[in-house]
Amino acid sequence: MDERPASPTLTILASLAFVFLLAPVVIVLPLSFSGDAFMAFPPQSWSARWYAAIFSHARLIEAFFVSLGLAATVTALSLMIALPATYALVRLRPPGAEAMFSLFTAPLLLPTIVLGLAILIVFAGLGLLGTWRGLLLAHLVVCTPYALRVLATSLANLPADVEQAAATLGARPATVFRRVTLPLMLPGVAATGALCFLVSFDETVLSLFMTGPRISTLPVEMFHHVESRADPLVAAVSVLLVGFTLLVVVLVDRSLGLGKAFLKGG
Amino acid sequence: MAGATSADAAGEGFLSLRGLTKRYGGFAAVDDLSLDIGKGELVAFLGPSGCGKTTSLRMIAGLIEASAGRIAVDGRDLTHVPTYERDMGMVFQSYALFPHMSVAGNLAFGLEMRKLARAEIERRVREALALVHLEALGDRKPAQLSGGQQQRVALARALVIRPSILLLDEPLSNLDAKLRDDMRAEIRDIQTRLKATTIFVTHDQMEALTMCDRVAVMNRGRLEQLGTPEDLYERPASAFVATFVGRINRIEATAEGDVVRLGGEALRAARSAHGPVELMVRPHRIEMSAGAAAPPQAQDGPRNMLSGRVARSVFAGDLQHYEVEAAGRLLSVERSTVSHEPPLRPGEAVTLSWRVADTFMFERAS
Ligand SMILES: Nc1ncnc2c1ncn2[C@@H]1O[C@H](COP(=O)(O)OP(=O)(O)OP(=O)(O)O)[C@@H](O)[C@H]1O
Ligand SMILES: [Mg+2]
Repeated sequence: MDERPASPTLTILASLAFVFLLAPVVIVLPLSFSGDAFMAFPPQSWSARWYAAIFSHARLIEAFFVSLGLAATVTALSLMIALPATYALVRLRPPGAEAMFSLFTAPLLLPTIVLGLAILIVFAGLGLLGTWRGLLLAHLVVCTPYALRVLATSLANLPADVEQAAATLGARPATVFRRVTLPLMLPGVAATGALCFLVSFDETVLSLFMTGPRISTLPVEMFHHVESRADPLVAAVSVLLVGFTLLVVVLVDRSLGLGKAFLKGG
Repeated sequence: MAGATSADAAGEGFLSLRGLTKRYGGFAAVDDLSLDIGKGELVAFLGPSGCGKTTSLRMIAGLIEASAGRIAVDGRDLTHVPTYERDMGMVFQSYALFPHMSVAGNLAFGLEMRKLARAEIERRVREALALVHLEALGDRKPAQLSGGQQQRVALARALVIRPSILLLDEPLSNLDAKLRDDMRAEIRDIQTRLKATTIFVTHDQMEALTMCDRVAVMNRGRLEQLGTPEDLYERPASAFVATFVGRINRIEATAEGDVVRLGGEALRAARSAHGPVELMVRPHRIEMSAGAAAPPQAQDGPRNMLSGRVARSVFAGDLQHYEVEAAGRLLSVERSTVSHEPPLRPGEAVTLSWRVADTFMFERAS
């Protein structure tokens, strides 16, 4: 990564990309400290009142904890499903492995709105709409394919030789997985976990179909808020979310090395 | 070992391969490989790149499934036994060290699988590190080692479990000449001490000839010849073996029974044939004398003779290399420089002679 100095062209391109990606944050940050009653840029007055307002907004707080619990559960389940599935598809290669892999990752190609509509129709009949279980299942449909994708890349980049060497030394397949495969995949697993968590935490379109008066997630609540009111409250929430996302990424990076996971595929 | 007698009774070696074949689609990477290796024997697999050496080794280790054939060790059929039960130590061409474990951790892994006591594991790891001269590097990670050091760790990891069969896939390819010589001697020594039946894959014919009991020469997935280094050198079974092992002159000619016509000259080989053939003789087996005079007939049997003219002469230390034009082609001749005779000069007329017994003849597709 840091062995070669980047060329000037690359530096300029990367800077432009950063500016493009960070532009929304640059707008939202001053907006969140607005003292106005309505969203306007630039703000006429400054204050932290909208931050204070968040904490008296019970529905938002409640939705935040629903999103948090949901993302954590979805992440854990996605990993538990995708890890063995990846191992089976990439290493054991049963007949039709490629076709199965394409099938399992197909939801990645569907627009979430289409997916949401399909799930809505199915779940309506099963009475899952507006329930936590329904939300969980819907999010799994989106997150598990991501997990499968990233883990498969991470495993495919592990030389099979290393696992085979363990086998020649007398290790049974389960031991090989525990002592060699899994430790070597750990950066990939961490990256997958972070990705699933953020995808679920951020998911809006699908959640709009699944939520109701009884249960709602943070993005959905924010959406509804913007629909009915034009105050800078959501800007304040957004800034907190950006901070929270950053925290997740930094934590994973510090403990396991995201750069390693994404750049070297585990 | 009680099983050894059963293997002997069946007329098989300690390690026995029968009709071992690996097909990828229509392509046979290894084709009908049958051979027997005795207990404690060191056999080289020698052959050009892509001839199926690694594939054979992987089938023996159980890492890839054979398309056909049978693998037995000590009379026990292992064809469908999983790798982890085969007790074979393997050095991979790519080393395949565990990148997340220290060098000592790599060596300890196989011993842990064998559930040895902690103290015993530590003792054997230390021993193995000393064996490959890496005592000081036990705490390093593989990524912090040079290629040659990694290769030695791979070797130590395979040896430390004292397997009944050792499979070495070019274990010395990345070492410098000096270390390579040392490690050859080391491997031979350990292998003899442990009586480990060993297959040693190599590209390097000198390595195969000098350190192994027998050599299996492979070509395009097939076994061309299995024999002692002397067998291969003195009695090659095919034109491929003759040309692959050592330097040799190839002379295309037409055989008519006992004689082979070459332009105006008649040569003979140890056997008779009809039709297009290739005669082969090693450069250092050709005697060369100045002038057109026939050299005195030696006592060691009938000889072939050709008259010619020196085309090139190159000094190479202990040898003088010549190219001699004879019967319309160039032949290589080597003479020892031990006698301090002045070298023959280009343009000089010479007479070449060599034993009929040293003349190999192989049929040639016309
Ligand atoms: N998985 C595979 N699929 C198709 N062909 C293969 C596969 N593995 C090996 N081969 C082919 O089988 C042949 C033998 O390969 P192998 O690796 O055994 O050669 P080798 O003798 O070890 O060569 P080298 O000395 O270069 O290591 C080669 O032609 C190779 O291309
Ligand atoms: Mg090979």
